Amino acid sequence: MGEIRKVLVANRGEIAVRVMRACREMGIRTVAVYSDVDRAALHVLAADEAYRLGPAAASESYLRGELILEAAKLSGADAIHPGYGFLSENADFADACAEAGVVFIGPPGAAMRVLGSKTKARQAADRAGMPRVPGSVTGLGSVEEAVRVAGEIGYPVMLKAAAGGGGKGMRAVWGAGEMGSAFLGASSEAERSFGSGEVYLEKLIERPRHIEIQLMADQHGNCVYLGERECSVQRRHQKVIEEAPSAVVGPALRKAMGEAAVRLALSAGYVNAGTVEFLVDEARNFYFLEMNTRLQVEHPVTEMVTGLDLVKMQIRVAQGEPLPVTQDQIAIRGHAIECRIYAEDPENNFFPSPGLITALRQPGGPGIREDCAVYAGWRVPLEYDPMLSKLVAYGETREVAIERMLGALSEYFVGGIRTNVGLFRRILMDEGFRTTAIDTGYLERLLAEVPSVVEQAEVSEDLAAVVCALFAVASAPRVEAVAEVSSGWAVAGRREGLRA
Amino acid sequence: MTVWLEVGGKKVRVEVPAAEGADLVCSVDGREMVVNACVLEPGVMSVVIDGRQVRCLLDGDAVVIGGRRVAFSRFDPRSLAARRGGAEGADGPRPVKAPMPGRVVRLAVAVGDAVEQGEAVVVIEAMKMQNELKSPKAGTVVRLAVGVGDTVGVGDVLAVIE
Repeated sequence: MGEIRKVLVANRGEIAVRVMRACREMGIRTVAVYSDVDRAALHVLAADEAYRLGPAAASESYLRGELILEAAKLSGADAIHPGYGFLSENADFADACAEAGVVFIGPPGAAMRVLGSKTKARQAADRAGMPRVPGSVTGLGSVEEAVRVAGEIGYPVMLKAAAGGGGKGMRAVWGAGEMGSAFLGASSEAERSFGSGEVYLEKLIERPRHIEIQLMADQHGNCVYLGERECSVQRRHQKVIEEAPSAVVGPALRKAMGEAAVRLALSAGYVNAGTVEFLVDEARNFYFLEMNTRLQVEHPVTEMVTGLDLVKMQIRVAQGEPLPVTQDQIAIRGHAIECRIYAEDPENNFFPSPGLITALRQPGGPGIREDCAVYAGWRVPLEYDPMLSKLVAYGETREVAIERMLGALSEYFVGGIRTNVGLFRRILMDEGFRTTAIDTGYLERLLAEVPSVVEQAEVSEDLAAVVCALFAVASAPRVEAVAEVSSGWAVAGRREGLRA
Repeated sequence: MTVWLEVGGKKVRVEVPAAEGADLVCSVDGREMVVNACVLEPGVMSVVIDGRQVRCLLDGDAVVIGGRRVAFSRFDPRSLAARRGGAEGADGPRPVKAPMPGRVVRLAVAVGDAVEQGEAVVVIEAMKMQNELKSPKAGTVVRLAVGVGDTVGVGDVLAVIE
């Protein structure tokens, strides 16, 4: 396939802007698509061309593959980058692009079908010899069967509803004696919640970490792993902070996880960027969780520590070029942390906070990167994901990256809507986070605690009251007035003026 | 001049100079302090106190000082509500209000239902997330002001519990 000259980005928000920046650096023209509420969105302003898709609802705009292909045809785009979310893991859309003669910058539909489905991916993982969380694959018929299976894999185990999700129908079981009541409890809860009482069991991984491996594969059978990302700081299964590298992954574990992930990808004919997610237990055993067949939100931390531009690599791979690096040329240098800034209110149940951004002050300085989708004057729509921006800090060490991030957060201000900016300060100052004592339950436990007095006493209450009063009566002088009386130049100038 | 404020839940009497000036002698409930304040642009102020410089931002009904958000409101000490203590008691009807704009996706209760404090009343979807809005008190649902599919704005009354 020839060189890509024009890319349509079938997405919105910061990732669309991110992809367009890579295109611009490569001399590729860019096409944005937008819904009615996104006409003035940053991704439209960042593009060379823009086409309307439809009303605000994603189902009538960003999920309408046929409209997107029509825009590609109208604009003469020869490739489509799907970003993440929306159509990025839709195998039918990838196939439709291929049929329309447009390059889909991502894996082929066939590979997506094998690795994107949870059950098929598990089968593929078994064939590739990847470790999985041990457990029964089918429903358990009786308490006796549950006791037998649990005895085989070893306690503690977790009973889970086969039809379930959201924590319903789940019971941790620490020994055979508890199985009877736990089995009945889980089963009846599952029956009530999902209409099916079928339960299965898995080994309970205590305090697991969520660690994932970034992959990049070309069309010539080469595949490399670009290190790992630590994504254990989560709230309600949503990642909040990601970092690279992970504090618990050394060279040997990185190699073992990386090679397992590469094996899985190659076994399914995978091409382009992808991520294999693992759970890692306290003994540093790793278990396959699932594969994400797309570029991930948190890809910048990998870019920072490898020095590679993943989006440019995606585009080069999509136009048929071989990978620009071999595995032994990939080195991890320094440490990067990413904070996902959401339009939500940590002081009020994390309720979403869409609306008009009245002021925006963004941080800068060495090692700070921001992938942002908003500006002052932009109205954050309520139809889409609440992520506003990704703030990334890089440093030689984790400690330096944390301090840089704290500094950047203190410079960051979003006015008009609530954001979770204040939450990051609390996490980054927390002893548990600083000593890397984190797992997927870490943040929920931290949020259940009352913030320490030290965190609250940064500014005295009296000063806060005075500042409020000054704003209320607006009696402090404006900066021009201060400059007038204090600037020697102005005084000298006036004196000169008098003399003339 | 005197400014009565409720700051972070506490009522205080703040004295600030009425005239403009850089070094301002202020007091909070009689505790005096001198602050050097400078407005950089509307809603943005730099304050120097005891040599320490703090950037302060006005954001609606709150200020952000050194990264910390402090909600405040002015009140009139002579008003009836302020003397009564302001807050609505546990008695009487209490509304369930929308804390954000969104779309009603589910009504968890019907008029006449008994609810516990903290029990879900209405579920609103915004930004791809469903948010359960809970009853502020134990009681009976006396009114449901919305239906499934309705779009609501911040502060809209969704239901009333008595």
